[in-house]
Amino acid sequence: MRTSDILIIYFQELRSAARERSIVLNSVLLPIFLYPVMFWLIITGLTFAEGLAEGARSRVTVYGLPEEHHEVLDSLRVMNAVEVVEAAGTKAESEARLARGELDLIAEFFPLDEAILALPGNFEVSLVYDRSLERSRRARQRMQGVVERYRERWLSREAQGMAISREEIEGFRIARHDVATQQQLGTLLLSETLPLFLVIMVALGCFIPAIDTTAGERERSTWETTLTVAASRGSIIAAKYLYVATLGVLAGVLNVTAMFLSLGSVMKPLFSRAGDQFQFGLPGLAFPVMVLGTVALALFFAAAMMILAAFARTFKEGQGMVTPVYWLALIPLVLGRGTEATLTASTAAIPVANVAMMIRDAIRGVFLWPLVVETMLVEFGTVLLCLLLARTILNFEEFLIGSYNGSLWRFLRERFLRGRGTASVRP
Amino acid sequence: MSPSGSAVWVEGLTKTFYDEARGEVCAVDGVSFQCRPGEIFGLLGANGAGKTTTLRMLSTILRPSAGTAHLMGHDVVSEPAEVRANLGFYSASTALYPRLTARETLEFFARVNRYPKELVAGRVEELVHRFSIAEFQNARVEKLSSGMKQKVSIARTVVHDPPVLIFDEPTVGLDVINALEMQEVIRALKDEGKTIIFSTHIMSEAEKLCDTIAILHAGRILASGSLEDHRRATGKHYLEDIFVYYVRDGGADTGGVAPGADEPIGVLPAPES
Repeated sequence: MRTSDILIIYFQELRSAARERSIVLNSVLLPIFLYPVMFWLIITGLTFAEGLAEGARSRVTVYGLPEEHHEVLDSLRVMNAVEVVEAAGTKAESEARLARGELDLIAEFFPLDEAILALPGNFEVSLVYDRSLERSRRARQRMQGVVERYRERWLSREAQGMAISREEIEGFRIARHDVATQQQLGTLLLSETLPLFLVIMVALGCFIPAIDTTAGERERSTWETTLTVAASRGSIIAAKYLYVATLGVLAGVLNVTAMFLSLGSVMKPLFSRAGDQFQFGLPGLAFPVMVLGTVALALFFAAAMMILAAFARTFKEGQGMVTPVYWLALIPLVLGRGTEATLTASTAAIPVANVAMMIRDAIRGVFLWPLVVETMLVEFGTVLLCLLLARTILNFEEFLIGSYNGSLWRFLRERFLRGRGTASVRP
Repeated sequence: MSPSGSAVWVEGLTKTFYDEARGEVCAVDGVSFQCRPGEIFGLLGANGAGKTTTLRMLSTILRPSAGTAHLMGHDVVSEPAEVRANLGFYSASTALYPRLTARETLEFFARVNRYPKELVAGRVEELVHRFSIAEFQNARVEKLSSGMKQKVSIARTVVHDPPVLIFDEPTVGLDVINALEMQEVIRALKDEGKTIIFSTHIMSEAEKLCDTIAILHAGRILASGSLEDHRRATGKHYLEDIFVYYVRDGGADTGGVAPGADEPIGVLPAPES
């Protein structure tokens, strides 16, 4: 192999890729714009849904409201968002109307048992609604809010009348104090999303280039053209491999950058509005770990995808053959659900998932160096196995000239089950 | 040069494939020939005769099952990179990269085929003018007409100035005008001293262009020599009749032995240089 040959072919591949719409879209634009567009869509969707829900009046029927608590009804009547519907003769009739969608909620007030009643006039409320309907859920929220606010006021008044404090009349209450810092909340969010998307994006970044540079070349009849240049087979394959891996890394890096920018400019203000304060930042050591992980992932996906795509005769066949490798990118989604789990000796032995977990730990500031080393050994070992397999396959000229008709199974059957075909190692 | 002083020297070249339906198939069966520097050597044969397989072995895309071949003294098995650096290969199955411009294509092939780096720009400029590519040199190949692509293809085949050129059925799919232009280019390249191996199944092309014509059938060379040699040996005037004589009346029926001959037909003496 000659470095100069590799570089010439590598840059030719990159130049070609920059002019192919599908590659630019998948490996560059999608990683950049996925988060901003996704977050924008989420916000727009939520705002739209919220607007629709706010605009819809909740139709509420009230049963058994004691006279002394008429303030609840008054509060409901002054609310534009609530329409108090006259109660039907029986509760069953109202429930039938609820089932037909003519009503959103039935509120039934019950007096509590006198024997256990510490506060005269205290009550219990039953809210009947249809959880499967947005407007019914919204009616429950509104009704519950009205009742809770009224109850708070009523308890305070009663306590004042008895010359005791508000806390004494309630007996006990649960107070929540969140000790998590804004930084920790931001880290939690980052560690839950970034590694998973990074793996998917690196795989996506490799997907089209891996097919384009192998099956695509066959389809365009440029494969044989490439084989007749003076560069060795090894140089050609090395250049193509580096090119695919480069686009995988590029997609990963762009994705991480876009995620930070999106979280800072789009999501942070949104969380602030909802009362949550997030601070997004990473420990310094997380960056090299992420870069290492991204490179390892890209090398793996590039090798695995190219091996399969190289059997295909057309781009479409290539897509079908490479898709199973793309599914590997979803492994971390399956294995990484436990938010408390960190990298272990066992999980570090699972390719792809181990890198996602390693990056997640790094974002949280957890650096288990022996396991990081194990992860990298496993990942680069897998890459090495892929490359050895690729070299073995490339030794069969039937593969080079497409005699297996795009069938990996036919190759395996003829080569390994029947021992047929011609091996030819070319320097 | 090869051991015999030929630009291309082929001895007993054989290629067998495994085919699921037919089992072992011998696509090329002990082919031998030599090309003198500066000549056009024609491989004439019907579809499936073994022309493309032979040329693929010469261009190192395929490895011979048996036999040997040297191109400018380099062995196709042990020195494939050197063989390819001395060879320009043109065929219908070697398309251009569609996303590169015509100029970028020439620059790429010059550099990857090891043309001296400092001379690449001048060489590309020379070919751009020679093949009238200037007008569309900065257009992407995918936007070019088939005639324009043909010009760029020929230019990329010769851009690294190789001493040996292989044209594998270069006029397939071309209209009459483009086919004639291709023939003129091949003739001009011969005049520059290039050694050219030219495969075709079109008799008139072989008649017009080739100094030596080898008739290939079922993987074997039935006869090889100049057109005059073939005429003398067969008593036929037209190459079409000569071809039919060897293939149908001789080669196919007698396993490569001409009627009345003791040896396979492919032993006509090579013309004196």
